[in-house]
Amino acid sequence: MDAAESLRLAVRSIRGHKLRAALTALGIVIGIAAVITFVTLGASVKAEVVGQFDDSPANRVFLVATPSDDGGPPAALSQPVFTEHDVSRIGEIEGVDRVVPRGTIATSALTHGGETVARDQVTATTPALFESVTFREGDAFADAGSGAACPAEMVVTPSAAALFPGNLSVGDQVSITQRGNRTRNVTVVGVLGDDAGLNPLAGFGSQPRFYLPTCAYDTVVTSPTTGTRQNVFPQVTVVAANPGDTAAVQDRVQDYLEAESDATQLAPGSYEVSARTNEDIVERIENVVDRLTQFVTGIAVISLLVGAIGIANIMLVSVRERTKEIGIMKAVGATNRDVLQLFLVEALLLGVGGALLGVPIGVAGGWVAVTYAELPLTLPLVWVGAAIGIGLVVGVVSGLYPAWSAARVDPIDALRYE
Amino acid sequence: MTGDVASAEQPAVELDAVSRTYTRGEPVYALDDVSLTLARGSYTAVMGPSGSGKSTLLNLVGCLDTPTAGTVSVAGEDVTALSAGQRARVRGQEVGFVFQTFNLMPRLTAEENAALPLVFQGAARAERTERARDLLDRVGLGDRTDHRPSELSGGQRQRVAIARALVTDPAIVLADEPTGNVDTETGERIMALLDDLHAAGNTILLVTHQRSIADRAERIVRLRDGEIEGIDAVDPTGAA
Repeated sequence: MDAAESLRLAVRSIRGHKLRAALTALGIVIGIAAVITFVTLGASVKAEVVGQFDDSPANRVFLVATPSDDGGPPAALSQPVFTEHDVSRIGEIEGVDRVVPRGTIATSALTHGGETVARDQVTATTPALFESVTFREGDAFADAGSGAACPAEMVVTPSAAALFPGNLSVGDQVSITQRGNRTRNVTVVGVLGDDAGLNPLAGFGSQPRFYLPTCAYDTVVTSPTTGTRQNVFPQVTVVAANPGDTAAVQDRVQDYLEAESDATQLAPGSYEVSARTNEDIVERIENVVDRLTQFVTGIAVISLLVGAIGIANIMLVSVRERTKEIGIMKAVGATNRDVLQLFLVEALLLGVGGALLGVPIGVAGGWVAVTYAELPLTLPLVWVGAAIGIGLVVGVVSGLYPAWSAARVDPIDALRYE
Repeated sequence: MTGDVASAEQPAVELDAVSRTYTRGEPVYALDDVSLTLARGSYTAVMGPSGSGKSTLLNLVGCLDTPTAGTVSVAGEDVTALSAGQRARVRGQEVGFVFQTFNLMPRLTAEENAALPLVFQGAARAERTERARDLLDRVGLGDRTDHRPSELSGGQRQRVAIARALVTDPAIVLADEPTGNVDTETGERIMALLDDLHAAGNTILLVTHQRSIADRAERIVRLRDGEIEGIDAVDPTGAA
């Protein structure tokens, strides 16, 4: 019997039990839809997060101190270990154009013109952060410089400016309430352009941010090398003079960090001080998102498994019910193989049919989830193809035993069966 | 087939010292040392009380069962030596079954039911359709080809089954109580159809417990307790 004929006969028998076939396939529909939904969500999260990092220029090396076994986003967990001594020494390394330290100042609120906005932190950094960044208005604050008075100036991102009614603009006075109720009055000297990079490690991002000079920074430590009290930063960005040298700069910075930096001496035992490029970080983030996606998809696969058992169950019932038909087919010349093929094709149709229905539902589910999470939709097309393959495999595997037991039916008994 | 001359000489079915024993606690001799030859074009009836071995004989000739001892040849081929797959092929090509309960596939139309044996022979669709329509015409159901069994009367169903039995042009047609599930009048029409088939040169083995039905055949094999009690020739002039 050729395949087309067994397909025709299988379609016949599925049509004979439309509701039952629909309910059986529903198990696979739900399983496949769940897998596709979660995989789509995972792929979209990954594309979004990684996309932010891809915006960063290739000549950046990020210095962080994170737990050694951590695979996660490093910036959030980074410890303040990089002293001013480290920053100036790294600045002297060959191929380094500039070094931008960043740290956070704990705050409770910002006030402007009678309007108070609660913020738990502002960022302290150097004017070097704003090199090659466009300003919508104004410019970077002055270099803190040693000895000179700390400039009472602030740079804000457009979304930060928008936190206040009528938007902050250059020349506005802002009063910052720091931890311990100390108040610092600053003047806005620059508002960044809307197209300033979105890389969270580069310091901008889409979230509202306020930048103060490093002289306003208040996290200090005694430098083990120089013995003096110095500012100490959790994050440092090293900009290579030539993007082609980034890897070499990364190596030299890493060597310095390991050999003689304050950072290594200050880092807690289980922490690792490292210099990472964009690629390293992207890879790490991808790993985390992948692991999460795998976990959730694993749960969805269980529902697929339940669907497969449903097919096996209904096929076994079907074999029992059609014992007489099997006897008739054998009496008129069907071989065991023909019967096996017939039932296998039927199970396969249920599996593939379920998968084909599950794909659009899963894509729709993924779209809803992604829309809800306000992410751009990234469709994992490979998975859409894989879903069909999975449906096929599920059909064959779940149909194998029922089909085999159908093939073994004794025609003499079967013809007597009522 | 090696040609008309060879096939005319060769019997359609030959049973040589066939025994079939079932072991149900102690051995049961369903058939015991039975030898029987069905010539091509012959019409044989098998009679006997229930348990006499009629069904076993039919199953052996139909390649649904294998003998414990002896050989069964269908169309010159010793089917006892064949594998299960090869016996399925013989069943499909050389044997046509007509059952008491019709045994049609409920979801297939009359035409598809009649063509079913050809499906398992791997015949092309066009050929199957042509052959099935041709045979449904012969049994008088040319206008019912698209009907399902549930839309047909008992007599019509049995005629579809007869068309199915003939569709592969088998060496032998096995009819197991073909009139058992229809009324007398319809039964008479089915028997007339079998007469026609016999007249057209088909070999028929009919199993029945009714003498009046058995009398339509050329000879009657009487079975009792798994053995042939006697073979009677039917006087054609005595038949109604």
